[in-house]
Amino acid sequence: MSQILSVVLNIALAVHVALIAVCVWRVWRGENVIDRLIGADLVGTLMLAVLVLLALILVNATYIDVATGLAALGFVSTIALAKYIADQQMF
Amino acid sequence: MQTLLQLIAILAVILGTVFSVLGVLGFIRLPDVYTRLHATGKVSIFGVVLLLLATVMLTPLGFGKGLVLIALLVIGGPATSHAIGSAAHRIGIPMKRAIRDDLGALEQNQAGE
Amino acid sequence: MHYIRTILILLVIYLALTGNLQPSNIVLGALVAAVATLLLRPQPSRLDWRRLPAATWALIRYIAILAVDVIESGITVARIVLDPKLPIRPGIVAIPSGCSSELGTALSAHALSVTPGELVIGIDDYGVLYTHCLDATHSAEYAAQAQAMRRDLLSKIFV
Repeated sequence: MSQILSVVLNIALAVHVALIAVCVWRVWRGENVIDRLIGADLVGTLMLAVLVLLALILVNATYIDVATGLAALGFVSTIALAKYIADQQMF
Repeated sequence: MQTLLQLIAILAVILGTVFSVLGVLGFIRLPDVYTRLHATGKVSIFGVVLLLLATVMLTPLGFGKGLVLIALLVIGGPATSHAIGSAAHRIGIPMKRAIRDDLGALEQNQAGE
Repeated sequence: MHYIRTILILLVIYLALTGNLQPSNIVLGALVAAVATLLLRPQPSRLDWRRLPAATWALIRYIAILAVDVIESGITVARIVLDPKLPIRPGIVAIPSGCSSELGTALSAHALSVTPGELVIGIDDYGVLYTHCLDATHSAEYAAQAQAMRRDLLSKIFV
């Protein structure tokens, strides 16, 4: 059973890394600025998923701490960028 | 017991990966900014939370951390989507294939008065 | 009183993050929570202990209804994305929240946004939620009664 789990985890990791590549391509060739912002936010979320999968593969809970920090930073930075785009000023 | 937990974890990882793929697929296929936001919100709500549920079941130390991260994602995800959608409406990005727009009608009325 | 409540909440989060229950760690967590609470200066709010069981029961029902909503609409959005014809009828629908307090309006907006398929774009001064829906004709019918049920539960949790 644990062998199946290991195979499934590795496949999921590969799929998520491929999805990150697709999202980076969308940020590169976005239609407008909001489209690119959504792409950047999605890259952050998928990176979170990769960190959680690494915590599962390496059986090390420290990666969850890293993921928590990344989630908090990504939340603040996305909202700050959205406010900057809407108002053309930061504060 | 251990085998049952591992089985549930495998199912959660597969479902989470499927929802992540669906979210990115929707991000590519849907026509405009507002509809894409629906698809990307799903990646963070379903994909990552299901993976975190697998982590909570498998690693004994990650229990509290996983629950705190799930709470952070469920509370913060809608706020991020709303910030992006509000910014898009403020700078006037048009909707495609829309059948009604109550907020745009309201703003036109206010501009006319 | 409200200072002690904030300290307790922060202490629980600290213990969940560090993950050990030794007495020295609990003391350190209480110190950190106290310093953070002094910096935050929480505002006092009314809390009636006799209402607590009813509020807890309403909170559990609210979270259960929310979870069922999220799963149901997640499957709906997945079906829309997988459909080759992409059957969407998007539009922005005005949904009156009906809540008197700002906290109730904000929590209603969160509940609407967390379900895929509906996304709150703007809120006006009277508490009307301007919601972008993937299927505007369907959502306009159901949103009003779902919002009425949500408002009843929220008014039981918060006065």
